[in-house]
Amino acid sequence: MSSLVLLNVDGVECRYGSIKVLDDVSLSVKGGDFVGILGPNGSGKTTLLKSISRILKPRRGTILLNEADIYSLKNVDVAKQLAVVPQESNIGFSFSALDIVMMGRNPHVTRFQMESTKDLAIVRKAMAVTNTWQFADRPINELSGGEKQRVIIARALAQEPSILLLDEPLTHLDIINQLEIMDLVKELCVKDKLVVLAVFHDLNLAARYCTSALMLKKGKVFAAGGLSDVLTSENIKGVFNVNAIVQKHLVSNSVFVIPLSPQKQVPARRCAVHLICGAGTGTALMKVLLDEGYSVTAGVLNVLDTDFETAEFLKIPVTTEAPFSPITEKAHNANLDMIRKASTVVLTSVPFGFGNLKNLKAAREALASGVTTYVIEEVPIDQRDFTRGQAKKLFKELKSKGAVFVNNPNELLSLLNVSEEKMKRAEFEKAKLTDHLKPEDIPKKTKIRW
Amino acid sequence: MSEGETESTYFRRTSRWKLIVTLLIVALIVTVIVSLNVGYAQIPFGNILTILGKQIPFVNGFVDSSLVLPSQTAIILQIRLPRIIAGVVVGAALAASGVVYQGVFRNPMADSYVLGVSAGAAVGASVSILFGAGFSIFGLRFIQVAAFIGALSAMFLVYNISRVGSRVPVTTLLLCGIAVNFFLYSIVALLEVIAGDELHAIVFWLIGGFSNVLWSDIWAVVPFIIIGVVISFFYTRSLNLLAMGEETAQHLGLNVERVKQILLVLASMVTAAAVSLSGLVGFVGLMVPHVTRLIVGPDHRILFPASTIIGAIFLVVCDALARVVATPFASTLELPVGIITMLFGAPFFILLFRKKKGRYAS
Repeated sequence: MSSLVLLNVDGVECRYGSIKVLDDVSLSVKGGDFVGILGPNGSGKTTLLKSISRILKPRRGTILLNEADIYSLKNVDVAKQLAVVPQESNIGFSFSALDIVMMGRNPHVTRFQMESTKDLAIVRKAMAVTNTWQFADRPINELSGGEKQRVIIARALAQEPSILLLDEPLTHLDIINQLEIMDLVKELCVKDKLVVLAVFHDLNLAARYCTSALMLKKGKVFAAGGLSDVLTSENIKGVFNVNAIVQKHLVSNSVFVIPLSPQKQVPARRCAVHLICGAGTGTALMKVLLDEGYSVTAGVLNVLDTDFETAEFLKIPVTTEAPFSPITEKAHNANLDMIRKASTVVLTSVPFGFGNLKNLKAAREALASGVTTYVIEEVPIDQRDFTRGQAKKLFKELKSKGAVFVNNPNELLSLLNVSEEKMKRAEFEKAKLTDHLKPEDIPKKTKIRW
Repeated sequence: MSEGETESTYFRRTSRWKLIVTLLIVALIVTVIVSLNVGYAQIPFGNILTILGKQIPFVNGFVDSSLVLPSQTAIILQIRLPRIIAGVVVGAALAASGVVYQGVFRNPMADSYVLGVSAGAAVGASVSILFGAGFSIFGLRFIQVAAFIGALSAMFLVYNISRVGSRVPVTTLLLCGIAVNFFLYSIVALLEVIAGDELHAIVFWLIGGFSNVLWSDIWAVVPFIIIGVVISFFYTRSLNLLAMGEETAQHLGLNVERVKQILLVLASMVTAAAVSLSGLVGFVGLMVPHVTRLIVGPDHRILFPASTIIGAIFLVVCDALARVVATPFASTLELPVGIITMLFGAPFFILLFRKKKGRYAS
């Protein structure tokens, strides 16, 4: 190919009857681009592919293929450049896999010709790279969903297109097939300068392979551009209404997305819980307690600690200490202030060294000042005491002074519900509740001093 | 399976297809010759071959026809042969158009009559039987012309009613076809009620048969059928693409709406020509494509020619049966072939399906 293929979508508006499905969507791609089309169900992703593949003519706007209006070209000429892998293919007849892939040669063979050995060679290559050649003779309707989808992708490749449209191409594939197919498509995109436009539901697959992305919401472009600019937790919240953690993965070096379950609509409980945790022992509990409607605080946590990052993300107020530093008196006192405003303190089974021994003391203080204190002992203290017995001693003290020991977080949750009932009657607790820190109280940005 | 093996199988298939078509043509010729022997008058088989040989240029010099009676020649050439050739033509036409309709509609229930062609032809024929008997146009029987025109008008009516913008969705086409069929058959029923003495003729025409077919009737329709079938043959790969669904067919470079339009017009023309010759012979257009698909598979490049020939063979056999089956009861009674196609075709069809339904089910 002498020059790169260009596809320009400009101000496209599509309707089904009177319902506007696409509204002023624009997109400009050239050979080598791998564009993910993202968005929730009904956001117009498939419709966009349909309008580009000449199934649904836009009411307004233009779609240019190498500067020619795609709707003025002949079907057969478009099919030489543009191949589509649909969401699902229902093939009722028992054509062999080879027959199906050979149909991809249709735009290159005239009505009065038979397919030549050259066509068969191209088909064979397409089937070899999609790992379908070994069942070339099997009837398509006897293949598994994944095998069938690979055959359909082989058919698209047999068209020798310069643009590949994929509509949810991986729905039927298991994980190894997903990766193999996407690796293949990516390779074609990079080596042969194909344009790939793919609709993804799996944001992580999109993140792994796309160079850029188009995020649609209700038929409109919500965000477009480079992948890392589009795939942010703000955009995901805006389009899918889902909280998600977006981070760069250490191994694959691509952005990855962890969606969190939508916040449950539970009546807010009149109970404030302060977590003494660290090293990831409090992470799961923070989310659960928030979901259950508790008001949650935590501390003291070192900045960069896993629990600290979770708290940041969940917008939980935290007393912090500088990274890798022992808890100072100042932080300890701030933590005690926070504890006094809570109605319940929970101590997770965090390991104790000399750096965070003060947290154990804080728990003792809490107990002394009459705050209900729970201790989760998933791992026996002997195994996580790195203070030559000091932590163990404090632990015994907690036990003797009436801290409630539980074996796991679930036990804790059932106990919390009970104590909450009791609390409702306790008049003096009310002050604590109203004084308790709210999420909006925390500073917008935590300063990290190195 | 090794790569070379798969490749050679792919190309060997083409020669297998050619072999199938050749064998079917041979079977058709044999069927035609054998069925010439079937009828009320007993004519020795040798004489039949002699009479046929006499008709072939260059060969006729070597054929000795001194033993053949002139009456036998007349029976074979003017009564039996036109009837059998009409069977070949009509059977081929109905089966070919049946394949096209089933392919375009992607519906196993579609047959040659799905677009109202049969009902339109029936109205034309009934009107001509009632009001125009004995007329002829350019030497053609009025009933034949009327049936042909009625069939095509019905098809264009259905096609235009179901058009949505520039597209013709197959579901609306099917539903409109059914509705128009009912409407037109009600006209036929009305005509039957007022028909009086002509009722018998209308009923016979509706069943379909080849009594009193003349060579001129056949020559009038053969060009339409040959043109339609030959052009359709070049669209067999397009039919394969359509089997993938219309969107996919378009993605693979097919001008779907245009191809559909061409194929539907061709198939309707072929059907109209056939029914104008024979009346409404039922079941061939539905059954033959299905049976053939069981034998040769779903690829229209072999399905279409094989169905066409099998349709011809099937109708010739049915017509031969129609001529002999009633003989024990009344020596000169001949059943219309339409009765035979349904009476024997349907159980045969069911039998075959029960045997092979596993393979057919998708």
